[in-house]
Amino acid sequence: MKRPVAVVGVGQTRHASRRAELSIADLVREAVDRALLDAGLEHRDIDAVVVGKAPDQLEGVMQPEQFLAGALGAHLKPLIRVHTAGSVGASTAIAAMTHVASGLFERVLTVAFEKQSEGNAMWALSPKMPFTAPLVAGAGGFFAPYCRAYIARTGAPLHIGPMIAANARANAARNEYAHLREPMTVEDVTNSPVLWDPIRYLETCPSSDGACALVLASEAQARRGPRRPAWVKSAASYAEAMWVPGRDQVNPLAGRVCAKHVFERAGIRDPWREIQTAEIYVPFSWFEAMWLENLGFCDVGQGWHIVDRGEQRFGAHLPINPSGGVLCTNPIGASGMLRLGEAALQVMGRAGDHQVDGVKNALGHAYGGGAQYFAMWVVSTEH
Amino acid sequence: MSRLRNVAVVAFAQAPVVARDEHRMATEMLYPQVRRALADCGVERSAIDYQVAGSADYIDGRPFGFVGALEVMGSWPPTQDLHLEMDAAFAAHYAWIRMQAGDCDTALVCGHGKVSEGEPRRILNLELDPYYQAPIGLDPLATAALQASAFMARTGTTDRRLAEIAARNRAAGARNPDVQVRSSASADELARTPWAVEPLRTGYVPPLGESAVALVLAAEGKAERMCDRPAWIHGTDQRIELQTLGARDLSRSPSARLAAERALAMAGATSAADVDLVELSAATPVEELILCEALGIDADRSSPALNPSGGPLVGHPLMMTGLIRLGEAFRQLAGRAGDHAVAGARRAIAHATNGHCLQQNLFWVLGTERRWT
Repeated sequence: MKRPVAVVGVGQTRHASRRAELSIADLVREAVDRALLDAGLEHRDIDAVVVGKAPDQLEGVMQPEQFLAGALGAHLKPLIRVHTAGSVGASTAIAAMTHVASGLFERVLTVAFEKQSEGNAMWALSPKMPFTAPLVAGAGGFFAPYCRAYIARTGAPLHIGPMIAANARANAARNEYAHLREPMTVEDVTNSPVLWDPIRYLETCPSSDGACALVLASEAQARRGPRRPAWVKSAASYAEAMWVPGRDQVNPLAGRVCAKHVFERAGIRDPWREIQTAEIYVPFSWFEAMWLENLGFCDVGQGWHIVDRGEQRFGAHLPINPSGGVLCTNPIGASGMLRLGEAALQVMGRAGDHQVDGVKNALGHAYGGGAQYFAMWVVSTEH
Repeated sequence: MSRLRNVAVVAFAQAPVVARDEHRMATEMLYPQVRRALADCGVERSAIDYQVAGSADYIDGRPFGFVGALEVMGSWPPTQDLHLEMDAAFAAHYAWIRMQAGDCDTALVCGHGKVSEGEPRRILNLELDPYYQAPIGLDPLATAALQASAFMARTGTTDRRLAEIAARNRAAGARNPDVQVRSSASADELARTPWAVEPLRTGYVPPLGESAVALVLAAEGKAERMCDRPAWIHGTDQRIELQTLGARDLSRSPSARLAAERALAMAGATSAADVDLVELSAATPVEELILCEALGIDADRSSPALNPSGGPLVGHPLMMTGLIRLGEAFRQLAGRAGDHAVAGARRAIAHATNGHCLQQNLFWVLGTERRWT
């Protein structure tokens, strides 16, 4: 990074399975208006707009940023549209950060969204890939074998997934924007039907309508801002090919490399001790244990022990997804940006009822594709 | 303009544009171009520290079409990567921004997509506002015809003039082995072709085509070692404007005008007319005229040379057309344009667009010498 970049505004919609009262443009504006208000800026202050969302087939609009240019306040500004599968919300925010880091832009608006009620996610996420048998089972059908492999490899007991799901819901109950907020017990989860073994209905992310917007700014702008900024200490997006012989889908190398990159550049040697909270992309319960290992918060095979001991709960050593995370709110394209935005809110000290005490450094993380795309940033109270 | 990092195009490879490659999927078309581009600049994939691609899921006819490109772009071990759902020229623009941020020194930029797998006229309808404009059934030919009507009404441009511009592009294309339409045609012949959508004739619009494109960017210090004649980026800028067709003066492109002004200012150039050639992503003769107006150049003059490659009229692979313009500018400045070379070319402008009726525009100003010293 050529120069420091800060998050100076965070905005998100109320997330729900169907925001039928809003057009796609209205939905995006709900998040954008809140981010600008938060930053104390107006559209005319914005130098460039960076948009992200998952496959256009989800809404049936090709490159919707074109028709949204007006609603985004992008008329006569530079705009790019990012798409890196599930990680897109995070890689989009990182692309916006790069715009500011380049020195060419002072204030960049970035927004990510999905209005899943406009289409059918199970259809849109069941691609027919060349030379590959179609699963027609959505993302859950694709990722369930990864979870089974994790269980087989580590000997994790079967209650771990339900524990993660119940904890996420307990967290979401403290987040006024979350989609699913009704508390549920581990027993509730265990009694829900299996969709894709070992993933049960209540261990699965919902389909949500929602958007998230951030304002990224230079140091000069951040110092002028009305609020304490979150400084981006480091950020990176990595991807790996799918059909590499020996590729480890359970503990993907791209995730390990990306985590090493962002922790090293942030000066963090021991993330378990130096990160106070993390918002990580957990669309199916078991991924929380898997990513704790992949991110280097613990040794391989130890992720489920952290969950079993409750050390990742709200108020414990390293609260994971205090917002409730993807398991409770999943407007797909926005889900990654929500992770990065929630991490920023935690270091700004403005996460409301789900604020973690004493956060200095926070990690935001997302993944996508066949666990191939990873995008992360470390944000901090300090420059 | 403060000093920026000198960045150059150092390699370019393109699959010849064809109506349909029957035997290869998009990634199979792309892989040889990646290898050719790397061979062109004499490095292995490990020497490239960033990769970025441009494509569209709707063109691929499935979600996540771009994920397959990871297999052939060289994504093992894992690499820093991004994908834009846009013409790949915008991916190159983002790579340039990343180099300005100091985050990478070299970048592989790819464009891909099997246009022939779908029906682009129906697919591109879905780019329009889904509530008010897409349901009318407008397709890109219809919107281009609305734009042409508006332009002809404002300027008095005749059908004959459009035929002459198309004929010039056809004549140029006949000298370029990578284009789809390699036969020249006279203005008389083209003016007798039937309406595609009035006032645009079938002779004034490109056929559907597909390709695969790879381009390598490198910053000063590495560019010179990778290419004997790098094409240095002197200035670049991109802008979008409102889509709403009824709210725009379709006969003009304010986003193109602003992007051109900013790119030229960054390049320290006073006039676009001073360059030797211009490669425009103009899918119709009217778009060429609108872009010339935005650039402040006279389409009737012989200099700068307009679309010496033949331009999109002779080969228009969606999501790649813009990156091919940048690649063509490189070929001209690097002395690799073969039969369609503009003699002694030292400065060039390349343009890319996204959306209907030139909604979003990107300009590059390039030269054989470094911009900042």
